[in-house]
Amino acid sequence: MFSHYIDLSWRSFKRTPLVSLLMVIAIGVGIGITMTSLSVYHMMSMDPIPEKSDKLFAVQLQSMDEGESWWSPDSMPYQLTYRDTENLLNADLPFKRAALMKTGFSVHLNSDKVKPFLEQTRVASRDAFDMFNLSFINGGVWSKEQESSAAPVAVISQSISKKLFGTSNSVGETFYLDDLSVRVVGVIEDWKLHIKYFDLNNGSFNKPEHIFIPFSLIKANEIDTWGNTNGWKHEPVKVFNDKLQSEKFWLQFWVELNNASEKRVFEAYLENYIAEEKKAGRFTREKAEYKLRDVNQWISYWEVVNEDNKIMVALSFMFLAVCLANILGLLLAKFLRRAPEVGVRRALGASKKQVFFQHIVEVGMLGLFGGVIGIIVAQVGLFGIRQSLSYYDALANMDISMLMTAPLIAISACIIAGLYPAWLVCNTTPATYLKTQ
Amino acid sequence: MLKMNNISKMYQTEMVQTHALRDFNLNVEEGEFIAVTGPSGSGKTTFLNIAGMLEPFTGGEYLLDGIDVGKLNDNQRADLRNQKIGFIFQGFNLIPDLNLYENVEVPLRYRGIKAAERKRRIEQCLEQVGLASRAKHLPQQLSGGQQQRVAIARALAGEPRFLLADEPTGNLDSLMARQVMELLEQINRDGATIIMVTHDAELARRAPRNIQVVDGQLADFTLYQGNPNMAVGA
Ligand SMILES: Nc1ncnc2c1ncn2[C@@H]1O[C@H](COP(=O)(O)OP(=O)(O)OP(=O)(O)O)[C@@H](O)[C@H]1O
Ligand SMILES: [Mg+2]
Repeated sequence: MFSHYIDLSWRSFKRTPLVSLLMVIAIGVGIGITMTSLSVYHMMSMDPIPEKSDKLFAVQLQSMDEGESWWSPDSMPYQLTYRDTENLLNADLPFKRAALMKTGFSVHLNSDKVKPFLEQTRVASRDAFDMFNLSFINGGVWSKEQESSAAPVAVISQSISKKLFGTSNSVGETFYLDDLSVRVVGVIEDWKLHIKYFDLNNGSFNKPEHIFIPFSLIKANEIDTWGNTNGWKHEPVKVFNDKLQSEKFWLQFWVELNNASEKRVFEAYLENYIAEEKKAGRFTREKAEYKLRDVNQWISYWEVVNEDNKIMVALSFMFLAVCLANILGLLLAKFLRRAPEVGVRRALGASKKQVFFQHIVEVGMLGLFGGVIGIIVAQVGLFGIRQSLSYYDALANMDISMLMTAPLIAISACIIAGLYPAWLVCNTTPATYLKTQ
Repeated sequence: MLKMNNISKMYQTEMVQTHALRDFNLNVEEGEFIAVTGPSGSGKTTFLNIAGMLEPFTGGEYLLDGIDVGKLNDNQRADLRNQKIGFIFQGFNLIPDLNLYENVEVPLRYRGIKAAERKRRIEQCLEQVGLASRAKHLPQQLSGGQQQRVAIARALAGEPRFLLADEPTGNLDSLMARQVMELLEQINRDGATIIMVTHDAELARRAPRNIQVVDGQLADFTLYQGNPNMAVGA
């Protein structure tokens, strides 16, 4: 019977092509706009590293004096000082840790084959690659010795490798970051991320870096941040070492803790660490405060998906509702005009349920067509967003789950709009239309 | 088979009340062939619609095969209709989007008959009404008489036990009308109970039992002598 209903729906579609097309377009536009905003929202709120998002923790320490406040929701500083970062990184603990900083250089070769270009660079400790699931195509991460001796080495992405050396196997090649000559020790696949969760300081949707150098180079080569440096008290910074010793916040720190007991061990370490620092005159607050937030907590703490995005989605659903109200009107007219035919079907043995189902299939089909149009509209919309807001580049895309969702939403929305007209038409007294021609 | 006791039907429109039927009493036995006559507007179609459970009645009692129709819900009525009753409507009421074949197929689909069996019955019925060659035509491509024959084929295809026919020959020439009448007589012999509304006195006379509706009431009935299929009712 279902295939028969589809056949009937298709005939009905062809019988009033203009009205049908109008309805499909109305659904399509409504769904398209909804899917555009929903896709962006979906990408924004998607777990960037689902395999281990509950095992990676951003570390926050409350090193400000009593009474000092921060603009974060809980007044905890977002970043760490260099001293704390270095101490946590070098502590004798069995956990992988990533100390991170955003910087950048003029990248060039010792030849004129490639024009110099400015490139953001990530300073990272060697565990970072493993923690953030970066995969090597060639070579590997620098050694512990290279890290501790501040060796001028780098891991680069495949696309930078191709850009500089024309190959993704550039291990052993050297290039320049400003005046510093660095040797490639590893090439990774490009780091594809929708949300730059590991460093949300300078835009949540910026792209991850393509060049990585050892954390120890900060001190050895006096590499300063391209990100934020925030202070909370007056500290004169005359030479770079002053900054290293200061209470300013400018570094990110992550730790991988695989279970609750590991987390307790690390927390105990932090408490102990704060107590030790207190003796040395830092961490003057009465109550020691630190925070460990996993990836998703970190993202919501930063309010990556903010009210505006939610309002956008809500508005687009309201627009869809307006489209549906119009469709409801058109369906009502279309179905009621068919009441005589329904009367005949009822007289010939159709039950109300069968008549109802026939009409629901028909609106479902309109929904399916509308969903397909909706996907096209959404693609155009997302293309427009990508063109006008390059910042949203990686976000303004439809993944498979969204592509599947579009027709589903369209069909269910249409069925909702069609419920009343279908119910009305299946409830007409069959005899009313049978008396005369 | 059919028993109506004091059935009444009142239509309430904005200003007027119309008593389409009142104190309507009728008893129909299994296998009867009844011709219903009466002036226009007397309530014949209303009677058929009520008999076919297409509209509710205002008062009285209606038993079909011993089942009190007034007590059935819509689904049960639809089931009963689907199993037992075939209709030939006064206004043909073919579905304009469907070709002849598909129009005849409608009741068979609702009865859940398999495709092969449907095909057999449809072809046979269209053959019987002489329209087999036009199976693919749409209703609007046919004359009134041809449409009427399709409506007859549609009613016959379901092989109903109880056939309600509202002026089945109204648009047919006398030759065709007689052929249709013979068809009805044939299925009546095969066991179907038939109630047929007609204005054609000659056709009415061929039916074993005649009833007349006047002003919403059963006026009287005449039994034509010498009919082998004679039945006594009311
Ligand atoms: N839906 C309705 N609403 C109001 N009045 C109606 C309705 N249907 C029928 N009537 C009235 O009920 C009466 C009986 O109508 P019905 O159609 O049964 O007549 P009929 O005997 O079949 O006439 P005809 O021979 O012309 O077909 C008429 O007066 C008609 O106007
Ligand atoms: Mg009539």
